[in-house]
Amino acid sequence: MVSSVIKHGFLILLLLFLFGVFYFTMEELDIMYDTFAKRYYLLNGLEDTASMNLVTGIYLDYRLFDSIFEAGILLIAVSGIIWISKHDIEEHNVHFMLDKFKTPDLFVMFARVVYPLMLVFGFYIIVNGHLSPGGGFQGGAIVATAILILYYIDPNKDTSTSFILSIEKIVFIIIVVFAMLSIFTKGTMFTNPFTSSDAGVQTIYLVLMNVLIGVKVALGLWAIFTAFLREGR
Amino acid sequence: MNPLLTFLVVLIGLYGLSTSKNIIKSVFCVTITEAGVILLFLNLGNLEGGSIPIFAEGLVNIVDPLPQALMITTIVIGSTVTALALMLCIKIFHHYGSVEWDVVLRDGGEE
Repeated sequence: MVSSVIKHGFLILLLLFLFGVFYFTMEELDIMYDTFAKRYYLLNGLEDTASMNLVTGIYLDYRLFDSIFEAGILLIAVSGIIWISKHDIEEHNVHFMLDKFKTPDLFVMFARVVYPLMLVFGFYIIVNGHLSPGGGFQGGAIVATAILILYYIDPNKDTSTSFILSIEKIVFIIIVVFAMLSIFTKGTMFTNPFTSSDAGVQTIYLVLMNVLIGVKVALGLWAIFTAFLREGR
Repeated sequence: MNPLLTFLVVLIGLYGLSTSKNIIKSVFCVTITEAGVILLFLNLGNLEGGSIPIFAEGLVNIVDPLPQALMITTIVIGSTVTALALMLCIKIFHHYGSVEWDVVLRDGGEE
């Protein structure tokens, strides 16, 4: 009892120390952070990336390298989840955790109504990512959530996670190849491959890349859901 | 939001991480810490009265888009890492029959 109190006391002292360190370095944050990059994006962002939404412009053009590795981390995490969730037992007659009799009828009925709306909304967010708030990552998450609702509508639906993972790997390779295409047209990798200054032509790249990333994120999250549903037998 | 408050969220996560006795609660605390970091980054480029970083006519003051673009990827990565940790929790439960740190550490030490 006493030792636990002492431990908590030391812990709180340590956290207070961290808080103090942060408090005294907080003044430095304003010095370290300058608004030069923000002004640069505001002045040149539209001409460089042809994207109305600056956030999309950054993660699809200026910092595409980071986005590719983010997609790679997603792929690795999904592969790890599926590898960990593998069973030695033969997986015939696997029933999902969702029991049709336990799910309220009202929920199932409304899920049927909401499901197509969610899919359309997700696709809208993905395709319109360069014009309005949104993009591949957010839209992909919405599409994956819509697919999760599909399991409530039809609990006996069986999906193969390894098949989903194979498609995701192929999409990831397509993303990397598509991002590297600009070395032939512009001489540098990981930027917009279209040299035309017309915004309409450059937008093709943004929409395609958003769709690819959206498909990849949706497939990854779908694979995670399926792996978790398989666990609850 | 004050940066101090966001750092307080990080500290709450760290406190829970070091005191929680349940593995699933530890995973929750990692998520709380991550939320604090995300709030801190968003706070860094925030601007009182600034508009969203989407081009429009007469746009003068915008919120810095760079932390937002970084935090999009962080949120997606965070969700997948949480899923990976929870899947490990399920495996630990199948192996040890418990998700308490005490039981898992004791049984793991005997083997």
